[in-house]
Amino acid sequence: MQYGAAAAEQAWYMPVVAPSSAVETAAERMERLASESAVVVFSVSTCCMCHAVKRLFCGMGVHPTVHELDLDPRGRELERALACLLGASGASAAGAPVVPIVFIGGRLVGAMDRVMAAHINGSLVPLLKEAGALWL
Amino acid sequence: MVQGEESSWRMERAALPLNQALAYGVQAHVAATAPPSCFLDFQPAAAAAAYFGFGELEEALIHGGAGAANAGGVDPGVIIKNDVAQAKSAAAAGYLAGAGRPPTLEIFPSWPTRHQQQLHSGNSQSVGSTTDSSSAQNTTMSQMELVSPASSAPRQEVMMVTTDDYSYKPGLAAAPAAAAPPSFQQHHPLPLQLHGDGGGDHDKRKHGSTRKDGRLVDAKTERRLAQNREAARKSRLRKKAYVQQLETSRIRLQQVEHELQRARSQGLFVGGCSAAGDMNSGAAMFDMEYARWLDDDSKRLAELRAGLQAQLLDGNLGLIVEECMQHYDELFQLKAALARSDVFHLLTGAWATPAERCFFWMGGFRPSELLKILMPQLDPLTEQQLLGICNLQQSSEQAEEALAQGLHQLHQSLADTVAAGTLNDGAAAPNYMNIMAVALDKLASLENFYQQADNLRQQTLHQMRRILTTRQAARCFLSIGEYYSRLRALSNLWASRPRDNFVGTESLSPTATELQALHHHQQNQFTGF
Repeated sequence: MQYGAAAAEQAWYMPVVAPSSAVETAAERMERLASESAVVVFSVSTCCMCHAVKRLFCGMGVHPTVHELDLDPRGRELERALACLLGASGASAAGAPVVPIVFIGGRLVGAMDRVMAAHINGSLVPLLKEAGALWL
Repeated sequence: MVQGEESSWRMERAALPLNQALAYGVQAHVAATAPPSCFLDFQPAAAAAAYFGFGELEEALIHGGAGAANAGGVDPGVIIKNDVAQAKSAAAAGYLAGAGRPPTLEIFPSWPTRHQQQLHSGNSQSVGSTTDSSSAQNTTMSQMELVSPASSAPRQEVMMVTTDDYSYKPGLAAAPAAAAPPSFQQHHPLPLQLHGDGGGDHDKRKHGSTRKDGRLVDAKTERRLAQNREAARKSRLRKKAYVQQLETSRIRLQQVEHELQRARSQGLFVGGCSAAGDMNSGAAMFDMEYARWLDDDSKRLAELRAGLQAQLLDGNLGLIVEECMQHYDELFQLKAALARSDVFHLLTGAWATPAERCFFWMGGFRPSELLKILMPQLDPLTEQQLLGICNLQQSSEQAEEALAQGLHQLHQSLADTVAAGTLNDGAAAPNYMNIMAVALDKLASLENFYQQADNLRQQTLHQMRRILTTRQAARCFLSIGEYYSRLRALSNLWASRPRDNFVGTESLSPTATELQALHHHQQNQFTGF
């Protein structure tokens, strides 16, 4: 049960995985995943807005780590955890898709509108540089 | 003077001789200038009567005459005389004509007291339409009343008219005359006496009705006046009822529209074809609100222009600029609401003019394009500002690109969904409903894209505001507003340009000049556009 998920994210690990990951809650997992890379994007493979976010980062020369929740066996829980996070930090419309959600440097940036607002007001690039995702 | 009046009265339609006689009689009493105060009572009454009709005008006039007499002991005849002097030149001759009433004025034996009160309060005695034949005359009268503003002359004329109308004017004139200084009698030798019977009081009794205000009114007049009052009252009630009906209908219409919009936004796509009207309610509401927004926009532009020219202090100008910014925010809210209710209306740009639509990008202006237009308008810019704007342009380009790519992928996936399976089977395809359901889901994300596009526009405008100084920001908003109003004007011109009949437009005319030679009224051929 865990192997599949573990294998997806830690493919380079030996199959003997630490049992501690079995009791990890979705929220903890989310945090862990968010901190693993400079830029982390939680997305759904069929979502076009997620595609837009990915293209935005690629256009800036950033290579985000993308977690496709629909391809993840524990994706549902993650999605719920993300929804809670969003609901706590900002308004999220009922029925609106949770993804894409972007973390930069382990900190939550938000959904597409926040990312674009940050980019327009010039705060996204410094954030990326600070997280080490951008070197120019 | 009398002759003059006569000629003017010739314009009257009815009771001409009577009027003349009356005029004579009236003139008889004229002696001195009437104080304008007596007309005060008339003014509101006359104006009101002009508004509302005549039955009460008549009464007002009648009362006015009496009131004037009572008030200052001034003979309405006096006033009339002055009036007469002025009336010749006044256009209100017709007024007099209009006032010509058939000699049926003396009707009722007594006027209710309220008439006198009305008279003296001088307030609008709203009267509806008159029912009798003098309505046409009355119209003239009221028109005259309206035409001649607040000078005493018209009042005098009014009075003159009124008294003229009374067949027993002698009695009328006599009654006030009784109170008037004897000079009247002197001035006026006889026609009055000829008509009248001398003292007023005898006349009253002789002719029948005596109104409380001392005027002598005969039964027929009284009846007619009462009828007019009735008609006026009924007309007032009808008008009130009609207005109330309009108001309730309007409120009901608004409620219905809101319900429709609510229902639509809850995704009532069932029976889409039959509900074509319902489908458009979100669009219709947006169109209405947008039109209002445009009106406000032009006002704001005017304010900005004025503020810039007046070299306002930054504080004050800043307020105006803030208002502009909020105004744009309002527009974005409207568009967001439209995206929720009818995203297709938003994306087709049907709410915008053709020229604007030509430059549309995802339901509105393209931020980077707008920035390119604005840059030269905002010179001079500091280095830092220039850098800021360049960065802004670059980031908005990147964001636009990302959104466009996302939308492109959405289009692709939507097309793939709709084309899934075999198209040859038509609606009988096995998974038709599935296909439709999936396609609907995909369409729902369309709204998200257009909202993000509007979000991008809004953020761009806010960032511009942050980068620029107050004056520059004012010029910036002014430029944006002016640019779009030029585009709208261009659309109007384009729509109203003189067109040739389009029969021969397939054959492209070789040159514009040749066409102009042929049809000098024609400006350009845009067939190859």
